[in-house]
Amino acid sequence: MAKTIMVVDDSSSLRQVVSLALKSAGYDVFEAADGKDALSKLTGQKVHLVVSDVNMPNMDGITFVKEMRKLPAYRFTPVIMLTTENQEAKKAEGQAAGAKAWMVKPFKPEQMLMAVSKLCLP
Amino acid sequence: MNLEPAQLAFFAEADELLTRMEESLLGLESDPDNHELIDEIFRAAHTIKGTAGVFGFDDVVHFTHEVESLLDRIRDGRMAVTAAAIGLLLRSKDHIGALVRAVAEKSELDAGDVREGGELMAALLDLLGRKAPAAGDSIVESAAPELVREAGGDDCVSTGNWHLSLRFGSDVLRSGMDPLSFLRFLGTLGDIVHLHAVCDALPAWSQLDPESCYLGFEIDFRSEASKSDIEAVFEFVRDDCVIHIIPPYARVSEYLDVIRALPEDDLKIGEILVLSGALTRAELERGLVRQLDVGQPGERVAQTQPLGEILVEDGSVNAGVVDAALVKQKQVKDAKAQEARSLRIDADKLDHLIELVGELVIASAGVQNISQTLANIPLSEASEVLLRLVNDVRDQALSLRMVQIGATFQRFQRVVRDVSRELGKDIELVINGAETELDKTVVEHIGDPLMHLVRNAMDHGIEQTDVRLARGKPARARLTLGARHEAGGIVIVVADDGGGLNREKIRSKAIERGLISADAQLSEREIDRLIFAPGFSTADQVSNLSGRGVGMDVVRRNIEALRGTVEIHTVPGQGTTLGIRLPLTLAIIDGFLIGVGSTTFVLPVGVIVECVELAGGQRSLARARGYLDMRGEVLPLLWLRDAFDMQGEAPTRRENVVIVKFGQTRMGIVVDQLMGEHQTVIRPLGKLFQALRGVSGSTILGSGEIALILDVAGLLQLAGRNEHQLQAGAAVRALAEGDGVPTTTA
Repeated sequence: MAKTIMVVDDSSSLRQVVSLALKSAGYDVFEAADGKDALSKLTGQKVHLVVSDVNMPNMDGITFVKEMRKLPAYRFTPVIMLTTENQEAKKAEGQAAGAKAWMVKPFKPEQMLMAVSKLCLP
Repeated sequence: MNLEPAQLAFFAEADELLTRMEESLLGLESDPDNHELIDEIFRAAHTIKGTAGVFGFDDVVHFTHEVESLLDRIRDGRMAVTAAAIGLLLRSKDHIGALVRAVAEKSELDAGDVREGGELMAALLDLLGRKAPAAGDSIVESAAPELVREAGGDDCVSTGNWHLSLRFGSDVLRSGMDPLSFLRFLGTLGDIVHLHAVCDALPAWSQLDPESCYLGFEIDFRSEASKSDIEAVFEFVRDDCVIHIIPPYARVSEYLDVIRALPEDDLKIGEILVLSGALTRAELERGLVRQLDVGQPGERVAQTQPLGEILVEDGSVNAGVVDAALVKQKQVKDAKAQEARSLRIDADKLDHLIELVGELVIASAGVQNISQTLANIPLSEASEVLLRLVNDVRDQALSLRMVQIGATFQRFQRVVRDVSRELGKDIELVINGAETELDKTVVEHIGDPLMHLVRNAMDHGIEQTDVRLARGKPARARLTLGARHEAGGIVIVVADDGGGLNREKIRSKAIERGLISADAQLSEREIDRLIFAPGFSTADQVSNLSGRGVGMDVVRRNIEALRGTVEIHTVPGQGTTLGIRLPLTLAIIDGFLIGVGSTTFVLPVGVIVECVELAGGQRSLARARGYLDMRGEVLPLLWLRDAFDMQGEAPTRRENVVIVKFGQTRMGIVVDQLMGEHQTVIRPLGKLFQALRGVSGSTILGSGEIALILDVAGLLQLAGRNEHQLQAGAAVRALAEGDGVPTTTA
């Protein structure tokens, strides 16, 4: 059974690029536009890995991770956080919230695929 | 690939380490709390394990690993140093020795050793709170056991396996990082040949936190991936985990090859290792951080542990690779020091060679002379070829004598530093054109005059700091030593940004010393040149540095002895520049033959600007005026016949003017005929004639005749004398006679 990945980003074009790359590698992918949207979509299905932006409207990525970790089914789900630049303070905050893997935008689809594969092979 | 030498080195090293381990263990018996001894023992085991892993001596690795685990616990204080533990460790040490010996002798362990190994393993695991592997519940074998045998038993050499030692941080699970996912991904880069789960960190069941990770892995990994690729697998957990990646021997030798093939750049040890692929950036950064940490607690920087040692201790890189990198670094340094491949030759031999080349030049000129007279075409063609080759040989031979002036200039760094302190001035020395080459003899003789000029500039030229500041100049004065090629010669410049010459003072001093008369009309240049007159000194106080009153006079004479000249250019308030013009070489020059009556003279080609004919009405006009209207410019003329007081009449039809330029001055030398270029081997004049003005040497022509080489600087002075006689004759006569130079004895 294919692994499922949720891509959370307020930019739909970025979501599309990431989705496309992941789908072509054999993952099931669904998208969410912000933290709130993502939280609502977590219930009712098994997500193996989350790729999430940090700066988003409604609910930012770090709050989302904190909320997600409160759900028993997602306590140990790997998360890859996306940032535009290396914001050390944000990164520390995110790591404390339970997001260890960080990627700096912009990245190539192959880099994303590589990072995802390290945490979860299709 | 021949691993033999490296393996032999390992066997010797292991022997040494085991001996040290034994000594320390025995020491520990009487001093169980000695942490240094424990560290020493641990390091020995750790090093043996790491290096054995490189060679693929898996038996040694697996056994030593357990010993190391036990030692690790002792080191951390989790286990007491008991007599039983020391006994066990001593026996284990012997067994490691036996294992290494078996590999070294390519033999099987004898039955006794095998039994001993089994017992020791059981005892070690027992102490570590684990069961023997036979029970099989704490040791995970992910790959087929046969594969392990194959890899380990294959004569112990061919295993081209990486060894990965991973210890995951306890928080990895909580941050969504599953160790297993990394191992799976690792599997995409190559084959996990053998995997051993390390459970040493597992606490008692009652204290176990199911959300914490206690796992570590020892992995034999077969892959073509690079070290940084393998490390990148663990990129997301790198901060929390301890990761050691030991390359297979094949890789090590590859690193060594890369290190040896690196360009000869000045690299830091870490950079070399990273470039070779033996070390990853992350490992380097970790090592550097450790180096800083270790150095910090109150210790001086000198105590800092070398990076190479730290990296080897961390297990980031193999000691052999570090050694190779150090060798590379040293090679680069040595190469730098050596600059270029060079050969030391006795200077006398070189002089002799050049003398012979001089004879060769003369002889070949003779051959050419004869071939021209005979009008034999094949002969003159052959002699042309010969002449060209001889010229090449001459140039090469002369270039052997050429040395860079840089070394001479560099000596002045120290002089300037010392003297500026002595004088209480802040002076910076700037060196230009250090790579300019000139004849060794010239370099040898230029040192003293330069010393005088530099000291003079610092003493008299550069003002005291307060004066400089008052004049709006930077407090730090600048003294420039420079060299450049110019018009077939070399110009050495000593320039300062000091106060410049005080012409009023020079003038009054010259009058006071009786060098010029009080009413003499002198141009600025002539006043400036007075400082080169004998017995002239304007310093208010005679300092022991330069004010002996002979300095500039001696300087001028030394330089003239090298067939050179000194020029001075000064801008009041802004500084003084002294230019020393020297010939490139003292041995052979490109000459130009000119004739007066039946006598032949040689002029250096480098000083000749052009030649013009002097005939008809222009001739008599020039004769009457003493100068020529040269395209609207006044060109002073010197009749060589008059200057040297020669017998005979000038040819009736026409004369020739050779226009020479020296420094900023032009002059026309009037001669009877022009005879073309000639390779001129300079023969110094005998002692008796050395003070001769206007003639610098002699040479032998192809015909065997002797020709005098004209000294243009001297001729200019001769011509200038005529000028001065019209203008300020008395003054300059005093200067010239002060030198005691007979001017008309040629």
